[in-house]
Amino acid sequence: MNTLYFLVQQTMFFSIPLLIVALGGMFSERSGVVNIALEGIMLIGAFASIFTINALQDYMSGQGLLLIAILVSMAAGMIFSLLHAYASINMKADQVISGTALNMFAPAFAIFVARTIQGSKDINFLNTFRIESVPLLGDIPVVGPLLFQNCYITTYIGLIILVISTIVLYRTKFGLRLRACGEHPQAADSVGINVYKMRYAGVLISGAFAGLGGLIFVVPTSTAFSADVSGYGFLALAVLIFGQWKPQRILWAAFFFGFMKTVSAAYSGIPGLKELDISSDIYKMIPYIATLVVLAVSSRNSQAPKAEGIPYDPGER
Amino acid sequence: MKKILVVVLAVILLTAVFTGCASKTYEIAMITDAGEIDDKSFNQGTWEGIVEYAKANDISYKYYKPTEVSTDAYVAAIDLAVTGGAKIVVTPGYLFEPAIFVAQDKYPDVSFILLDGTPHNEDYSEYRIEKNVYSIFYAEQQSGFLAGYAAVKEGYTKLGFMGGMAVPAVIRFGYGFLQGAEYAANEMGVSSVEVKYHYTGDFAATPKNQTTAATWFADGTQVIFAAGGKVGNSVMAAAEAADAKVIGVDVDQSPESKTVITSAKKELAVSVQAGLKSYYDGAFKGGVSETLDITIGAVGLPSDFSRFTTFTQADYDAIYAKLVADTDGIRSGIVKDTDADGNSVDVTALPLSIVKVTVVE
Repeated sequence: MNTLYFLVQQTMFFSIPLLIVALGGMFSERSGVVNIALEGIMLIGAFASIFTINALQDYMSGQGLLLIAILVSMAAGMIFSLLHAYASINMKADQVISGTALNMFAPAFAIFVARTIQGSKDINFLNTFRIESVPLLGDIPVVGPLLFQNCYITTYIGLIILVISTIVLYRTKFGLRLRACGEHPQAADSVGINVYKMRYAGVLISGAFAGLGGLIFVVPTSTAFSADVSGYGFLALAVLIFGQWKPQRILWAAFFFGFMKTVSAAYSGIPGLKELDISSDIYKMIPYIATLVVLAVSSRNSQAPKAEGIPYDPGER
Repeated sequence: MKKILVVVLAVILLTAVFTGCASKTYEIAMITDAGEIDDKSFNQGTWEGIVEYAKANDISYKYYKPTEVSTDAYVAAIDLAVTGGAKIVVTPGYLFEPAIFVAQDKYPDVSFILLDGTPHNEDYSEYRIEKNVYSIFYAEQQSGFLAGYAAVKEGYTKLGFMGGMAVPAVIRFGYGFLQGAEYAANEMGVSSVEVKYHYTGDFAATPKNQTTAATWFADGTQVIFAAGGKVGNSVMAAAEAADAKVIGVDVDQSPESKTVITSAKKELAVSVQAGLKSYYDGAFKGGVSETLDITIGAVGLPSDFSRFTTFTQADYDAIYAKLVADTDGIRSGIVKDTDADGNSVDVTALPLSIVKVTVVE
């Protein structure tokens, strides 16, 4: 039982960042803008917020500091994603090229600024954010150890973001308009929706979520940030596609990916699995094989937004 | 108007670049290995040694970062350094072996200090070291031995080893760690020591490495020796959450986390400075390949033992003295990554009886 609790707790460290970043990607893509810059935005978000933690940790600690860092990471992600929005919406640039440019720019920028300011690219931080056990909730049998022990408030923020995203996308005027812009922007325009505004909104939301995802990615897994998020932005893209651009499916996809990643890294300490003697490479392959299978099976009726990746041209019909 | 402006700007930029190049040369050059100059480990240790020596003797210095990890890129970086006026080039890492093999003939008037390697061609069919190359190896197995000895002496019986990529230096750290643990267990009469043994395949801080370490800690592992650059940061993150311990590598990593009880060091800066000094004194050990070990203080643990509870400075001094004196063949008996004929040794072939190694792929 303890092993199960432990596995679930570890899975959260993988899944929550993937979930949030993939949800961000969802908003951008449903508005019609492909955002492969998620990796770069994660990095910038993590960089700005870890830097903030590093600067403030002598004066404060704990959840208050984490909340400030969260706001900083979202703001940084939004500002950085503006570059992508401007290039792909106003300038009608190829969205893949623009995203790639951001991905290449981000690590170089983070290293350069960190070196200029503090002389080293590594930004150390003290992790004072881990919650041993949530009061009251942590004492509930089974559910307590599963969800409310050895955790971070970011886990709950991620789940709240999921709920809000679902409601916004399917139950509000804004969500309907956003989706319309991703399916048929000319039709949306004909009924008076400002396509540019909606697409800007989509990209900015993706920037905020990806930036936050970057912070959540780094905090539990290291003691220093060194301008690297190990390709999790791209993994989030896979989660997004695996989840077919739908919030609930993205949730399952994120947990599936996260769980398999956890098992591949943790099997050496799990009774039952360590005796099986299956190479960790097998576990590492499974999420990707599953993605390929799902894509192969579902590509016929893929749910990708129809106008995704196409710059908006009001003259087109 | 716009066009004229562009042309003018371009000309100004070009002039600035060219005059910038011509005006300054750098005598001591370092080419960085995979990773950054401030990796808190190999590159940084080497670089700090160079900077200190160059500043003290008022010699110009500069480092060059190859565009990628490949022999061609390394040779290109050396070309750049020599064009920039380098008289002596320091290259840390065994990845430079083929590049130096090429460069030693290409630039007979330039001297090279090669750390962790000796020049050979790409397919290992020819080993040759010229008069302008000084190759340095470290006895990492002795440093690892001390770390393993200290861990078991401290009372730990469930240990872990997480190396980065399985490169010779990392393997030597790992093998030494196992044999040091065995030696201490034998000395103390401990009946069994379990060690989990794993190469992560990278030198990065990732959730994967954090999870591996966290799982081991949850499974009862008390201390993990993290010999792989940034891998250590992930292990420290896991140790902080699990209230467990970490042993650092290369340099004293205790400032990075309070969970780091000690570090298996190798004195990069000191040996680089010795090499540079010999060059400027006209006594450059060209054509020599030597292994720096504990007898000259090139490897060891940091002098602060305050994070141990039972292992003391006196214990350390005793085992250190034994290693230096090679009492009962303790030092020469440590098995390295290769045997006397140069064949690689598998971890299962190590002389261990008390220590039970579980290799994790």
